[in-house]
Amino acid sequence: MSPILECHGLTKKFGSTTALSNINLQIERGQIIGLLGPNGSGKTTLLKLANELLTPTEGSIHIDGKKPGIETKKIVSYLPEKTYLNDWMRVQQIIDFFADFYDNFNPGKAYDMLKRLNIDPQDRLKTLSKGTKEKVQLILVMSREAELYLLDEPIGGVDPAARDYILETILSNYNENATMIISTHLIADIEKILDYVVFINHGQIVLTSTVDDIRDQKGKSVDALFREVFKC
Amino acid sequence: MLRKLIKYEFKATGRVFLPFFLSLLIFAVINKLISPADPEYWGFPAAISMVIYIMIMVGMFVMTTIIMLQRFYRNLLSDEGYLMFTLPTKTWKLIASKLVMSIFWIIASLAVAFLSILIIIYQKGVFMESWRLLTEGYRTIYEMIGASLYTITLEIIIGSLFTLVFGIVLVYASMAIGHLFNRHKILASFGAFIALNTLAQILFSLFCQITPGFAWPGHELYLQNMPNLITLIQVFFLYGILFTGLLSAAYFALTNYILSKKLNLE
Repeated sequence: MSPILECHGLTKKFGSTTALSNINLQIERGQIIGLLGPNGSGKTTLLKLANELLTPTEGSIHIDGKKPGIETKKIVSYLPEKTYLNDWMRVQQIIDFFADFYDNFNPGKAYDMLKRLNIDPQDRLKTLSKGTKEKVQLILVMSREAELYLLDEPIGGVDPAARDYILETILSNYNENATMIISTHLIADIEKILDYVVFINHGQIVLTSTVDDIRDQKGKSVDALFREVFKC
Repeated sequence: MLRKLIKYEFKATGRVFLPFFLSLLIFAVINKLISPADPEYWGFPAAISMVIYIMIMVGMFVMTTIIMLQRFYRNLLSDEGYLMFTLPTKTWKLIASKLVMSIFWIIASLAVAFLSILIIIYQKGVFMESWRLLTEGYRTIYEMIGASLYTITLEIIIGSLFTLVFGIVLVYASMAIGHLFNRHKILASFGAFIALNTLAQILFSLFCQITPGFAWPGHELYLQNMPNLITLIQVFFLYGILFTGLLSAAYFALTNYILSKKLNLE
């Protein structure tokens, strides 16, 4: 079985700025990976490349052995950092939309999560607060039975009280065979659910390691190591 | 997948157009009902309702343009693009669904406008009379030029449709080019629109050079013959359709290329 995500010499330039430079990375299935780096380190660019929202300048990126395209989009569930909800649908309609376009979308799961987060399916997307919109998007993304979840700053916009709940939601809706890559700089909040970390800075991979190795060999938490590596 | 995209495109735009259609028809009926009433009492309300009717009509056609621009820009090139471009579908289908719905609403608006005018001018026997005149006119032309009339009618219909497609695809391609710029995207889109439009005109004049035009030695004599003239008109229309079709396809392909390979959502 090919790795769920694989990059070879992956480079992305925007004009004269290099966002990603010669990335070589191989992610195996069945883990939760933290893609960690400061702002502007290239986390979002990497996730956008995996979703065909950007095209590599050089090198390649493969998901389940395939270049990003229709087949990979069927198995990848992506949460962008942006709010992509339109202003004319109701929550229920966007659920129908997802059910219509994604075979692996489970509406029952979505309604269940909406109920637990006290979001009314009849509400108009337009009237939701920014935090609620983010919750709705996360629900949509986690209600897909995908092979690879790519979450870009999933807890950035929600209050700390809701964070634990959301992390729990992420964990409880995640099946063992799937892989999840979570990009964030809020490491302390997310550290406890990670199996593996990828540190990225200035468009380059700085460190890859299992979380257990960091704790056992370096005797540090991921958060402490992050602060050390990215010390200003 | 294209069918589903069109379905959602219809839902997203229908909620704007259907109220327009309904209110236009309602005001056409209101106008019809109060215009023949006693002008002493009803003159002012009749004028008001006519003004409202015209404003709705103008608004409806302005809206076809605004929606065409807005659906492409907001749904594909703004934040909503994160959702649309990660759907398991080809980019050309996203563009095609928007093109199809834009054409649909323009034709539907024309049809509703026509219907509302019919309501206003309706009088007993007026439709029968117009229909009679229309068929008579058509028959007279048919007697003059024969079966070519059908070909020319068909060519005019296809030609209008292609011109409409070209106009929309030109706008899409302009917005796609504008998207390539890091700053001043809207200004760049306007610039691209002017450039692509000029290019189309230059290509068209070049294209005319190689098509059978109206100027070659002895053409006056040739064209004095009616069947020759009719043939020439048909060929000319055909070339026009061919040209518009090819250029529309090229601009569509350009839009598709930019949105597939050069996409860079903010």
